[in-house]
Amino acid sequence: MTKPKDPGSSDHRSDHPSDHPSDHPSHEAAEDGDYVHPRPGLHVPAPGGGLVQDPEWYRKAVFYEVLVRGFYDSDGDGTGDLRGLIDKLDYLQWLGIDCIWLLPFFQSPLRDGGYDISDFFTVLPEYGDLSDAVELISEAHRRGIRVIADMVMNHTSDAHPWFQESRRDKTNPKADWYVWHDDDHRWSEARIIFIDSEASNWSWDAQRGQYYWHRFFHHQPDLNYDNPAVADAMLEVVRFWLDIGLDGFRLDAVPYLFERDETNGENLPETHAYLRRVREEVDRLYPDKVLLAEANQWPSDVVDYFGDGDECHMCFHFPLMPRMFMAIRREQRYPITEILAQTPSIPDGCQWGIFLRNHDELTLEMVNDEERDYMYAEYANDPRMKVNVGIRRRLAPLIDNDRRVGELLHGMLFSLPGSPIMYYGDELGMGDNIYLGDRDGVRTPMQWTPDRNAGFSKADFARLYLPPLMDPVYGFQAVNVEADLRNPSSMLHWVKRMLEVRHQHPVMGIGSFELLTAENPSVLAFNRTLHNEQTDEHDVVLCVFNLSRFAQPVELQLAQYEGLIPIEMLGHVPFPAVGTLPYFVTLAPYGFLWFNLVERP
Amino acid sequence: MIDIDVLAGLLGGHLVRQRWFAGGEDEAPSCKVVTLETLVEGPPALLRVLVEAAHGGDAALYQLVIGVRPAGGHEEFLSGRPEAVIAMDMETEMGPALVYDATADPELTVALVNAVVPGTDAERGRLVSTESTHTSMVFDERLIMKLFRRLGAGGRNPDAEITRALTMVGFANVATPVAEWRDEVNDYAVVSEFLVGGADGFSLALTSLRDLYDCRCDPEEAGGDFAPDARRLGAVTAKLHLALAEAFPAVRADASHWAEVMEERFVHASLAGIDPALVHAVFDRLRSVLRAGMAIRSHGDYHLGQVMRTDAGWFVLDFEGEPGSSLEDRLELSSPLRDVAGMIRSFHYVAQVALRERAEAIDERIVSLSAAWERRSKYAFLEGYLGVEGIGALLPPGELDQDVVFSAFELDKAIYEVGYEQAHRPDWVGIPLAAVARIVGSV
Repeated sequence: MTKPKDPGSSDHRSDHPSDHPSDHPSHEAAEDGDYVHPRPGLHVPAPGGGLVQDPEWYRKAVFYEVLVRGFYDSDGDGTGDLRGLIDKLDYLQWLGIDCIWLLPFFQSPLRDGGYDISDFFTVLPEYGDLSDAVELISEAHRRGIRVIADMVMNHTSDAHPWFQESRRDKTNPKADWYVWHDDDHRWSEARIIFIDSEASNWSWDAQRGQYYWHRFFHHQPDLNYDNPAVADAMLEVVRFWLDIGLDGFRLDAVPYLFERDETNGENLPETHAYLRRVREEVDRLYPDKVLLAEANQWPSDVVDYFGDGDECHMCFHFPLMPRMFMAIRREQRYPITEILAQTPSIPDGCQWGIFLRNHDELTLEMVNDEERDYMYAEYANDPRMKVNVGIRRRLAPLIDNDRRVGELLHGMLFSLPGSPIMYYGDELGMGDNIYLGDRDGVRTPMQWTPDRNAGFSKADFARLYLPPLMDPVYGFQAVNVEADLRNPSSMLHWVKRMLEVRHQHPVMGIGSFELLTAENPSVLAFNRTLHNEQTDEHDVVLCVFNLSRFAQPVELQLAQYEGLIPIEMLGHVPFPAVGTLPYFVTLAPYGFLWFNLVERP
Repeated sequence: MIDIDVLAGLLGGHLVRQRWFAGGEDEAPSCKVVTLETLVEGPPALLRVLVEAAHGGDAALYQLVIGVRPAGGHEEFLSGRPEAVIAMDMETEMGPALVYDATADPELTVALVNAVVPGTDAERGRLVSTESTHTSMVFDERLIMKLFRRLGAGGRNPDAEITRALTMVGFANVATPVAEWRDEVNDYAVVSEFLVGGADGFSLALTSLRDLYDCRCDPEEAGGDFAPDARRLGAVTAKLHLALAEAFPAVRADASHWAEVMEERFVHASLAGIDPALVHAVFDRLRSVLRAGMAIRSHGDYHLGQVMRTDAGWFVLDFEGEPGSSLEDRLELSSPLRDVAGMIRSFHYVAQVALRERAEAIDERIVSLSAAWERRSKYAFLEGYLGVEGIGALLPPGELDQDVVFSAFELDKAIYEVGYEQAHRPDWVGIPLAAVARIVGSV
């Protein structure tokens, strides 16, 4: 458990928040004259709490991915900012998430959503400044919430002073900080990742009269990690932010740090060696931090980034997400169980990051041949799924806004092995705007209220970085935090309740996983088990999901739990004790049940 | 332990109530206990009995495992299982005793596997199914024991034999045998790895069809599309045939011999409303095929219920052949297309079964969707099957001849089904009859 919680306060916490309008802390009052933040009425527990030290917090945590630009605009300039996020920390605390994951908020010309960093030590001015970042971290910590941020190790923006200096000539002090070459033939084995916009991994720089290497956009030159000064400088960047209090990083594009002849330039031993060096430094100086690798590859390859437990603490599990959607579409569990069967075990202390939606996605380029055949067989003939691969959609539109499917998916997300990573707005069932284009469609402003600009900003509408959704189904008039708070049966309240239950059972994060036999192919059943060595007790959770839109029966083989009583975990309702015969469960359409198996209720 | 003669006197009445007993239900056979051995002294005691049951002019050897417990106790495992009880109160060395089919008793199934496969260390057992030839039990969700009931005249059980041979040639999509219970004469049981998380092909196909009939869109648009699974199943089937051709003799096929066998079956069938001349025409065309590919050991009773979808793809089960056929017939080499035809027939069956589920809500659209699903599944299966390298060497070289051979086996299977349904489920006879009409009409 990462957050201290007074067990006696749980009822209080789950009370309808708007019943406590007078509880608004005073610091939420207007800061600039008559401007008052459009805030939902939230009951905020007394300050205090803070973080509890736990070297494995990330294995039990629920992460929440936030686009600073889109979360909340504190100064009315039409763009979300760090102070806005600080203002909304109470909401995130109320929701019950454990860790915020910030997309890049560093100085950048913003030609690649901030992944083109031009100064690692400066906050993008429209987001605020360094003191805002410090305050965000300390305010989050005060609420028991940790903060990690995107860090791009592989490259910088071409606007970065390092590159500006490096390109000047071949002899300047930073001449070897990037990867320069006289011709553009070297390392032709390395694939071009952004094949639609880049013709080569080399681009000509007229000023220096040489080609420079870039695995991504041409305006993102790769750093030269063979230069010890670069390796040291990036370690300094890591130390700088950890010193300020960040709780870790999502390491962007880690497989590409080094280049070697006759290789494809991915997953090289030198890259792993450098990651071990980063990890060693983090372990040496900073307890309770996490490194989360974005290696957009197959689980059997991604596990290399855990090393022997001495590289990254966490890696994303990419293929699970599309297969969860496929399983529901096919009304059978095999798309999920197959990929779990193909997922190698990981070293102690490591954890997968799993998600329903985030801005990273599986694409057909990253998978092995066999899986590509599988994906083509499953998707290519299915016009609906085809449309959804590679194009970024939010969760709700992907599932036709079906609340039952949304709950089913979250039920799996919160109980399958791995730490769940949520995407801002999905807890409301927010939609997308595909007409804004590939990336921006899912980056529209967080919908706080039914008021002007969704309560996101006081700016003139035309000044907003992106228009909020206004359609009749997903628009902010219909879907917003304020309305959801008032409606006890909203998706938001349901998600909050699920997070509470998950927190009460660390087994969901760190327990072992065992698939159970179910003859009905539409049913996914597994258990999670955690052995408490001090008490010699087992915490056993049984999860049963109906992937079909029809009601389904299932007989489960639970003889190993004979005599135990399944307690349904949301309502604490005792079910009949497990006997020697198969345990019979009926499930509503898209229904699921979590049971805690106990000796007595 | 118990008196053999008393037991023999009770077994006739017991056998007729068992699904795996091949004789009819009307008349109890006369039984002779061939061997009786005590596997576990107990109590509860576990006995293994081989009994010869004479029925009309035929006699067959059956295997029973029998539990003996002191009479008078209430045994929960027998509730709802009256057919498992042999005697409520029999005089034994133990005193008055309950005598029953031990496969119903979780405690004795564990004793059984631990007795016949030492080192298993099973802790929990459960009965999973009783088929027409065997009874299956699962242990600790990791092992499955298939206890053969009707012991073959030649002793060897084709299922045990084929599974063993397939494993030897490296075919991965069968449950790996862990141990066998056999002697010089008979195969008694096979213990294999249990396929955790498996579901049989029939229920998977039903899932797809229920989705289709509900959404009423074209099969390729439906969420529960079965084609990808059918395609993978076709590929596994082709690999199975290549492995069978490697593990057993494979000879040049004689199509006219197949035609003779089919005619023989047809002579005994009664097909209302079908012109026999049309049926003969199909077999005549088969006879005219000069190069019919190879004759190999085949699965023999290949349908969706014999394949299991697992996390590692499709697995093939139960190589015993058609339960109604003699062992000799079941061992005979045949065309791989016989299995292919069996599976395609199965696609028809499952689509019809799903239709029957919604009997009152059938309309033209649903019926045409059903046919479209069958077509799509069939083509996907064949695409997967024919796409496997080397499979062509086992088949007739020309596409036209492939069609002729396939149609003949499809017809033969449908005729077999008509007979089966007439004997067991008369109101289902329309399903295979419609298929017969379609096949002969299409020639």
